[in-house]
Amino acid sequence: MGQIAEATLADGSRVPYVIKENPPRGGMKYTYFAPDQSYVVQFFNSPKVAKDPNVRKRIEAIIGKYNPTLSEQAGGARGNNDSMAKYFAARFCWPTAIITEPEFGIVCPAYPPNYFFSENVSVIPELSSELKGKDKKSKWFTSPRLRRFIKEQELGDFRAMVQMSISLARSIRRMHQAGLAHSDLSCNNVLVDPTTGGCVVIDIDSLVVPGVYPPEVIGTGGYIAPEVLETMELPFRDPDRKLPCTYTDLHALAVLIYEYLLLRHPLTGPKTYSDDPNMDDYLSMGPKALFIENPNDHSNRPQELNVTIKDLGPALEALFLRAFVDGLHNPDNRPTAMEWEKALVKTWDLLHPCENFNCAAQWFVLHDPQNPVCPFCGTRVKQDNLLRLHLKSPLRGRPGQWVPAEEVVLYHNMPLFKWHVLANTFPDEKADRSMMAYVCRYQGQWLLVNHNIQGMTSPGGSLVPTGQAVLLKDGAVFRMSSDDKGLLAEVSCGG
Amino acid sequence: MADFIRRLPVYLLLDCSGSMMGEPIEAVRQGVKALLSELRSDPQALETAYLSVITFDSSARQITPLTELIQFKEPEISAGGATALGGALNVLIDCVNNEVRRTTETQKGDWRPLVFILTDGSPTDIEAFNQAAEKIKSLKAANIIACAAGSNADTSYLKQITESVLMMNTLSAGDMAQFFAWVSGSIKMSSQSLDAKPGRAIQLPPPPQGFIVVP
Repeated sequence: MGQIAEATLADGSRVPYVIKENPPRGGMKYTYFAPDQSYVVQFFNSPKVAKDPNVRKRIEAIIGKYNPTLSEQAGGARGNNDSMAKYFAARFCWPTAIITEPEFGIVCPAYPPNYFFSENVSVIPELSSELKGKDKKSKWFTSPRLRRFIKEQELGDFRAMVQMSISLARSIRRMHQAGLAHSDLSCNNVLVDPTTGGCVVIDIDSLVVPGVYPPEVIGTGGYIAPEVLETMELPFRDPDRKLPCTYTDLHALAVLIYEYLLLRHPLTGPKTYSDDPNMDDYLSMGPKALFIENPNDHSNRPQELNVTIKDLGPALEALFLRAFVDGLHNPDNRPTAMEWEKALVKTWDLLHPCENFNCAAQWFVLHDPQNPVCPFCGTRVKQDNLLRLHLKSPLRGRPGQWVPAEEVVLYHNMPLFKWHVLANTFPDEKADRSMMAYVCRYQGQWLLVNHNIQGMTSPGGSLVPTGQAVLLKDGAVFRMSSDDKGLLAEVSCGG
Repeated sequence: MADFIRRLPVYLLLDCSGSMMGEPIEAVRQGVKALLSELRSDPQALETAYLSVITFDSSARQITPLTELIQFKEPEISAGGATALGGALNVLIDCVNNEVRRTTETQKGDWRPLVFILTDGSPTDIEAFNQAAEKIKSLKAANIIACAAGSNADTSYLKQITESVLMMNTLSAGDMAQFFAWVSGSIKMSSQSLDAKPGRAIQLPPPPQGFIVVP
């Protein structure tokens, strides 16, 4: 263990940290740990950045009035309550204090332990010991080359990747909602845990804050929006220079989600633009960037492309086309983080377990009941395991009239939540996440068991008390709840 | 699926002349070991970097061909003999010509190789050195960083090879460890790529404390 030093915070209090030789160093900052590892202190590589009054102003705003991990009462973001603050505190590594002495820096909480590799994570013993205690950067789990080295149980499954995507989209939506842009979203600044489907956004200090001069970061290769790359040679204050902002975050967000779900980069294909590798990279990520799955131009399409955006269902397919075809060179057309969050949640409800026990993905998006085949391994779902609920919302002021709301693909032991019961309920940071009902296959029949819904009604119109179930038969129609906002459910079985 | 990931070839040119005997050569061994371990735990480096070691004493040879990090075995190195830096540069030129992939219709070429030269003296094969240095500078086929270690190292020769010359004062284990830590930081930074527009100098982390950038 190294020597203990003390940092003085802006409020005059002091915190200890351990001085280590060659501390971990990123592009902007270097890091020391607390003696008990519960927080880190970070200082800037460049003294110029540390002295810049804009940097200080920005970080003060980030820690205070824009902070989604603190309740409004505790000095955090407006409208933020305790439970929302807690929700986002687990998803952001948000700075907590400014250090004034020995030099300007910040204090950040340590990431939760599941974002560090534990022991025996690699199939190669030496690599296991080298990785122990290192951050789980997403590249370990999205690069086919690196996945070979990681044990299967660490890699998670496709459902976990969808969950990570939802979590990331939600965190970025929360930032953008407050007018903040991350400005350097990348595989290095989002740590992931495929075993739980969690992710945590780190390096929050270079956020773009409304009304404060933006940071001089460009981003990380592979995640920089084409327009930023194209104009990076212009002087910083040139009006034509495109700086990181929410629109450029939306490019990086789409790239990350694509990587999580399909384990490849959306713009890295066989096409080359120059013999000079640097020029080729610049062109292929910048002015000439071309989606490998562009439906109109196949020149960058890899020969073998087994799983494509089509296999992710219509909602995600549409967003990826907007992000990487319409919006690639046209930032206004990029889907917002809110749109990603909604489409991913919709897609979550279409997930079905693959019936091949050895399938690496374990889950897939069952978007076409006529063709219920896992795109990862080719296994078809048996006909009597195909079951869907079409949920419909009541039309306000028109009793007895319904409009389609959601499609839910069912499977044994699937839990249903409030948003499957009541209209206009969305599974965001404010949602009640307790189980309301669950699906169960019992003696060859499919049942929806009422766990905690008041006023669930059977197809025949009688009350289904908690603990009792509705028999899920093809064509059956019933109320999830008799509440004014209660959804109507229609069952369909088979393909 | 075919792999479209570009490789980053890294060459280490290590001085194994007689003056490196004892603690310095042991520090180099430890340094290579630490470098490897550090790089393998960085996903971008592990995905893209390929490493080769060229050693030179009275002659020069490639003791490890360009190898994927996960397959890389630490080479056995020992010290003794003169300082055939010129020979080493010639070996480097051959290796770069043979091993570094160029862009073709069907494959993404490698990034410009990163070359780190560590020497504690001055070349003893002056004629070969002058020719090779000339050739290397005009080829511009690699980003070369040279480090002069200890008081006997002559930086003026290194300046003939590259603009990027560092000087560390001693051959102590501590300085050597810092040097290799800096090398791994540089490789990590380069493997992230694309921080600079084509044609710009590559970005490297600031050299360790006590190291001097030779102007």
